[in-house]
Amino acid sequence: MICENCKQRPATVTVTVNRDGEQIIKHYCDVCSGQNDFVNQEANPTSLDQVFSSWFGMPAWSTDAPKKNEQQMNQVSCKQCGMTYHQFLRDGKFNCPSCYDAFHEELPSIFKKIHNGATEHTGKVPSGINQVYQLKKQIESLRQDMKALVQNEQFEEAAVVRDEIRELENRILEGGGSNEEV
Amino acid sequence: MKKFEDFLSEHPAQWMVGDKEHGDIIMSTRVRLARNMEEMHFPRAASEEDILSVDRDVSGAILDDENLPYQFSHFDLSDKTVVQKQVLVEKHLISPQLAGQNKHGSVLISEDESISIMINEEDHIRIQCIEPGLDFKEALRRANEIDDCLERNLSYAFDERFGYKTTCPTNVGTGLRASAMLHLPALTMTKQMRQLITMMPRLGLVVRGMYGEGTEATGSYYQISNQITLGKSEEEIVQELESIVLQIINKEIEAREAMLEYASIAISDRLNRSLGVLQYARILTSEEAASCLSNVRLGIDLGIIQSIPNELLNKCMLIMQPGFLQQIAGTSLKANERDVFRAELIRDIFQQCGVLNNNNGDKGEDSYDV
Repeated sequence: MICENCKQRPATVTVTVNRDGEQIIKHYCDVCSGQNDFVNQEANPTSLDQVFSSWFGMPAWSTDAPKKNEQQMNQVSCKQCGMTYHQFLRDGKFNCPSCYDAFHEELPSIFKKIHNGATEHTGKVPSGINQVYQLKKQIESLRQDMKALVQNEQFEEAAVVRDEIRELENRILEGGGSNEEV
Repeated sequence: MKKFEDFLSEHPAQWMVGDKEHGDIIMSTRVRLARNMEEMHFPRAASEEDILSVDRDVSGAILDDENLPYQFSHFDLSDKTVVQKQVLVEKHLISPQLAGQNKHGSVLISEDESISIMINEEDHIRIQCIEPGLDFKEALRRANEIDDCLERNLSYAFDERFGYKTTCPTNVGTGLRASAMLHLPALTMTKQMRQLITMMPRLGLVVRGMYGEGTEATGSYYQISNQITLGKSEEEIVQELESIVLQIINKEIEAREAMLEYASIAISDRLNRSLGVLQYARILTSEEAASCLSNVRLGIDLGIIQSIPNELLNKCMLIMQPGFLQQIAGTSLKANERDVFRAELIRDIFQQCGVLNNNNGDKGEDSYDV
């Protein structure tokens, strides 16, 4: 049987919807069944993804319209691998180390739910990680951004980035952080 | 260097034999560290090329390090058979996930089989150290030793705020999962285990079956591990787990004493019946074999059953599993065929050990090389 939605992939999911006492049976492939919210309307065995999504505060097939900023957040994607925040919520897994940077703002609220309220690592730190080195790396990438902005004549934005760079440079001058001497 | 076949042998690894304090209740402790390399997609999203390069870098770092006091062998799992991989799972050297995945995965195993480093499982690197008995400190120390060696040669994906970056948010931070393998027959028989299992999540701990995630507890063996990996140091995680494990051990000891005191003949009957089943059964499912072996072990611990060495039980526990059975049979067996073969093998082991002093001549037609 072929999926009733995309009419391409083989149907693997059967959805029975009970509407006013009338049973409607639909067949979808796993891709389409994930994309549509009809699945949520009737009791379905909870998948691991669903459990994760509900942990993360936004059910994958929520019938409530997500709030505006959530919607915006869902569009955010990782520069390195292209994974969107929405995808991350659905999979419950990251695709690459840079996803952590892309979704940095949202992660504490997610980690809190999994790790009993904790959002900060307090354990082992690789000896290679030096804060000054990290700051320098950050500055380097910001400089690249600034250059691109100037070339596009986006001077206002470039000025914002310049201020950020200055702030980071000041932090290095102040000692960069506790790890400098290490 | 040990060959791949050597790691498939049914001789119990050293960590199974240990003779530590509470060794009759806590079989082993394990520490696992999840690590990933910077600027590489996690295995689930990585290209074949990246996966191979991670494999090369990680195995190179370990095999070329002359200061490491361990001898490792590296095995590519893509050219191994299903049964061979299953045997490695049954020996706890690789995870069921690594055995089942289509993507290229490999493993580094130390000579004494107490350390294994899985490459390209869910994370690029999973360091696992097993110690006999209750010894989280030693397991953590060795895991850190391997971790430090890798850290010198590779650059890890690390976030200053969130710690070690892992594929799954449930491992982020320390990437540490510490677990204890406990044999808790008395708590199971007195139905106290269920309470314990429902209570554990509140303490940030999880109770699972013998083979980790998603497996059933067979033969009263339970794996207890930390759920939380962020916001605590490695030492704190391990200490908290250890103190809970010690409390559980004491509960088990109390339950065993109570059982002996109030139902000694009933218990003795039950445990000896299990011994009888192992010695005479012609069909043994893995559940029944596991539960009988568990009972006999309890019998030995309580002094009810004598003249059976623990090593014999360890050996039975290993070889009764589907992968080992099929390896010994040298062919694939259906579930019902396995049950018959399992009964034959176990019967044979008990007989060879001279448990049946008054041999009734009921030995199987074939003898097996076990």
